[in-house]
This record gives sequence, structure tokens and C-alpha cells, in this order.
Amino acid sequence: MSTTAPRPAAARLSNGEAIADLARAEEGLISRRIFADPEVYALEQERIFARGWFFIGHESEIPEPGDLVTRSAGIDPVILVRDDEGEVRVFLNSCRHRGMRVCRTDRENASFLRCPYHGWAYKNDGRLMTAAAEEHYEDGELDKEELGLIPVAKLGSYQGLIFASWDAEAPSLDDFLGDMKYYLDIIVGRTGGVEVLGPPQVWDVETGWKYATDNFTDNFHVFSAHHSLVELGMLPNDPDFAAHGHMIVAEEGHILHLTPGAPNEHYSHMGLPQELRAQMAEHLDPDQVEMARKTAYSAGTVWPNFHWLQLMSSGTIGQPDVPFLNFRLEVPISPTRTRMWSWLAVDKDASPEYRKATYETYVRTFGPAGIYDQDDMENWEDCTRASLGPAAKQHTLHHKMGIGRAVDETWPGPGRAYKDSYGEMTQRSWYAAWRTYMSREHRADVAGELRS
Amino acid sequence: MSALGTAILPNTEEYGRVLEFLHHEAELLDTYRFAEWLELFAPEIEYTMPVRTTQFLTDGEGFHESGFFVDDHATLMTRVKRLETEFAWAETPPSRTRHFVSNLRLERSAAGPELEARIGFMVTRTRQDLDYQLFTGVRRDLLVPDGDAFKVRRRTILVDQTVITATNLSVLF
Repeated sequence: MSTTAPRPAAARLSNGEAIADLARAEEGLISRRIFADPEVYALEQERIFARGWFFIGHESEIPEPGDLVTRSAGIDPVILVRDDEGEVRVFLNSCRHRGMRVCRTDRENASFLRCPYHGWAYKNDGRLMTAAAEEHYEDGELDKEELGLIPVAKLGSYQGLIFASWDAEAPSLDDFLGDMKYYLDIIVGRTGGVEVLGPPQVWDVETGWKYATDNFTDNFHVFSAHHSLVELGMLPNDPDFAAHGHMIVAEEGHILHLTPGAPNEHYSHMGLPQELRAQMAEHLDPDQVEMARKTAYSAGTVWPNFHWLQLMSSGTIGQPDVPFLNFRLEVPISPTRTRMWSWLAVDKDASPEYRKATYETYVRTFGPAGIYDQDDMENWEDCTRASLGPAAKQHTLHHKMGIGRAVDETWPGPGRAYKDSYGEMTQRSWYAAWRTYMSREHRADVAGELRS
Repeated sequence: MSALGTAILPNTEEYGRVLEFLHHEAELLDTYRFAEWLELFAPEIEYTMPVRTTQFLTDGEGFHESGFFVDDHATLMTRVKRLETEFAWAETPPSRTRHFVSNLRLERSAAGPELEARIGFMVTRTRQDLDYQLFTGVRRDLLVPDGDAFKVRRRTILVDQTVITATNLSVLF
């Protein structure tokens, strides 16, 4: 553990409240102030969004040289591009001259990016090739070698998932993901790789971003928030149906659930088709295969705002549940507005029939029109609206479930595992990481505290 | 779409019947008569709303295989039955919507009795004490004659937005 104390001036809000008091994670008491407050949001931009690792996209979105998509790294606009040599790069989407966005589409294939404003043109590896009116610069006024597009400080990918950080002091992606790689392997590496189908759904929700984040590893909202599906017989009429399995807390604030479904073959191996189940032993160790076998539902968060949902559902009354793998990202736009990104992923070796079934099931049940998901956004927005006033900000939310639950010492995987999937240890761990990022002025202290 | 079709002009009785059908449908949606609304669809309905991206016109209009909706009759019925429960929180209490239908362009398909109706749509939604959410775009409906009225066999909802600025898509189009 680092012994460097946070500097008081940097770890307090202007009203004197200490950041540490806003997220009393060990007590399960999280201040409502942190969810929609402009000052907290401003500090998050420096302390979290300038320092973390962020999901940018999946390698399958840019398969060919010159393919690019525009995204956010943290909250800064970026270009994710595969250059002509095949290397994946991420640049700030902003010309070095006046800051104009150099790419103004969501996706294209380009060898060069030409800024509309003055015509500065960049190769897709970021090099500035031509500026405007170059003959009017005197010697030494225009150093094109120094004026390439601004790259992220760190870039890496794991199992096709591309992450970037603006902080040169951040740990490597490998260190940052740490134990979470073991669980990511079960989800995205189980059959040798996944790919995303089509461009993501994108929509803006009037919520503070953390209300969305909080929801992804929350199993016990399902029976109430999605009770319409219980009424229709599309979810078990049992408040504890998703209570079993394990919750796992890893280093760096990463969290997940591995939850069984009904005790039959249909719900084993995350419900995947037999030919995909059969591949797992080639790609996973026996403990991981056993975890996959026992799992029907898994939700995980790579800190802070990237999630997977490996779920089984149906868009049709009376029809069997079909699995799908959904990647999610929340990008804050303001203290009370968040851009939601949602991708469907499928195992590369999946059959055309399974691709169609998993895609249709995902779109019908999750994403903005999904008969499950649409009720979640309603909750996040109304939580946010009720957190805006000075009276609300004096009070805490309640995250105490399972606070006394012991670690399951028999768990064969990394991280701290807790029996049952109803509990708030995942959220408490997430808020503890939030508190660390927000309290620590020095990046080394963040990493030190998160691994202690 | 049906480029070989025959245009049906506004001064015809058929155009008037299609317009009345579309207005009737809008009224059913705006008055929460979802089960009656569902009766307007043929059993083989394909109801889709593709994802759209911003791209250069030379790369097309930006519609993709991935979608916001990919529904058939059974899934539309599931949506309707869900709205009839007391627990579909996205619409409980219900939104107030207004479905506006305009710019009707009507063609008879070259192959058969079907009609293709292309409309500009605007859907406004407000709920609780909140500001409006707005959805606009083009809807392409394939209509099959059914007595004096029609059934919708295919509906493609082509939204104008690439980022949907709305809580969710719990409203129907």
C-alpha cells in the first residue's frame, strides 16, 4: 500500500466535503452528491477520464487498412483507425492547427484525413503530410514532424477489445486488466474470439453516468425492474431466480457476476450452441470451463465504464431463451447526460443460424428498444432527477447488501469471490476505486491503493 | 424501393383510403389502443428500424444491417402484451405521444396488388413533467389490400438521427 496521503486541498469539494466521505464504500453508504453534481463531474474529468483506461472499440470494427470509426477515449473525441500498414491507432479527433475535428463521419475508409478548415492533411498513421499555404511559413515556423495527430498516451488490446489511456503514468493494459483477463477469457476468449455485428446502437440518456454503471452488476433489480417479463412468463416467478452463483471483485475496480440459470442443459455453458461449447476446452483451463458450464448469465465491468452482458432471454412470449453477448459503454456528456453505446458480439465460429438468433434476441430484449433494457433507462433518469437538489445531496444511497459476507475461499479463480449473485459487493468495490481515483493526486498512488 | 411501381396520385380514391388507414393507425397508437393497432399487421410482418451512421453520401445513406428494431408478429404482440401489464415502467405511467404522418408517396408494386407507402413521420413524446423527445424519419410500408382497408406486411423505419436523443425506444412507430 502506498503511504502517500492525499493532499487535503485536492481531495475536497469546495463546500469542504472530503471525497473520501462521499463514497464510504466499506459502509455501503454512497452520497447522492456524486451522481449529478457539476463540481464532482468536473473533478471526474481530470481524475478519472484523463487517467483511466477506456474501451474504444473492437478490432472487428476496423478489419481493413484505412478503416476508421470515431469514438471517445474517456470523454475526448478520438479516431480509431487501422493504418495502411495494418496497425491500430487512436488519435484525438482534432487538427493540430485550430483544433477542428478532422474526421466528421462515424465510419469511413481513408488513407488521408484532410481538415476542412485550412486543409491540413494527415496520413492514417497520424503524420502531417501537408499544411496549408506552406510557402508562407518561414524556416522553422512549421515543423511537420512535430505536428502529427495527437495519439493517446497508451493503447492496447486484449482478445480484440481495444483500450486506450491519456495517462502515460497509467499501468500497462496487461497490468490494468490483471485478474480480469481470466474472466474476460471466459466471455470473449472461450471459442478463440468474438466479433461485433454491425455498428453499435448509440443513444443519449438524461442520467448521470454512474447510475448506469451501478446497474450492470446488479442482479436483484431484475425481478422488480423487469417485472413485466415475470408477468408474461418470460422470467421465472421467483424473486431469487438470479440469486445463485458468485460475485467476483478483482483488482483495479473490475467486477463481475457468474450466475446459473435453471438447472438444465439449455442454461449451461451460457446457453451457447453445442458446437461452440465443444470448443471451450481448447481455449480455457478446466476451472474456467467449469465456471462457463455453470453459468447462464454474466455481467461484468472493466473499470470504470465498459461492461459485458452475457445473458439469455427471449423477445417472444413462450419461446425459449437464446443467449447473447452485449458490450456496453457509458460516455458522460454532462453531469446529467450520458451517451450509451451498445454492441452485439458473437463468437467468430458461430453458425449463420445462431448469428441470426442471437442478434434478433439481443435487439428485441436489450438496447434502447429492448423489452428489458428500456425500463432500466427509465430508472437511471428518475434516479438522476431525484439527486439534483441540495436536500437530496445531504443523503446517501444504500449499498449494504452482503457487507458481512465472507470471501469464498474455495473459489478456484483469481479475485475475491462471494457466494450468491445478490449482493452489493461489486458496486462497493467500484465506488472504492472511484474514491481512490478521485482522492489521489498522483497516478502512482492510485495504482498502489487499488492493488493493496 | 419498388422503382418499377406505378405512382398513385393524391386525387385518387385509393390514395385517400391509404391516408385514412395511416391516420387511423396513428390515432390507435396515440390513444393506447395497442391491441387494435396490432390487428393492422399481416402475420408475416417484418418490422425493422436500422441503425444509422453519419457517413459520406458516396458511401450511401448510412443505414446498416444492425438495428434498433427487428420484430415479427410474435415479438410485436409481446411488446403489446408487455405494455398491457402494470409493470412496463418505461411506459407506466404512459407517455403522451403524437404520431404525425405526412408527405405520403404511394406506389403500386409491379408484381402484385401490394402498395408501397412512403411517409415522412414525426413522433413526439412527453412523459411525466418532462420535455419533448422527438423522432423523425421516413417510414416505408408495404401494404396488402384487406377488404376496404390494408394490412402492413413490411415496415422499415428509417430514422434521421444517428444518436437517438431519447430515454429509450419504448414508443412504437
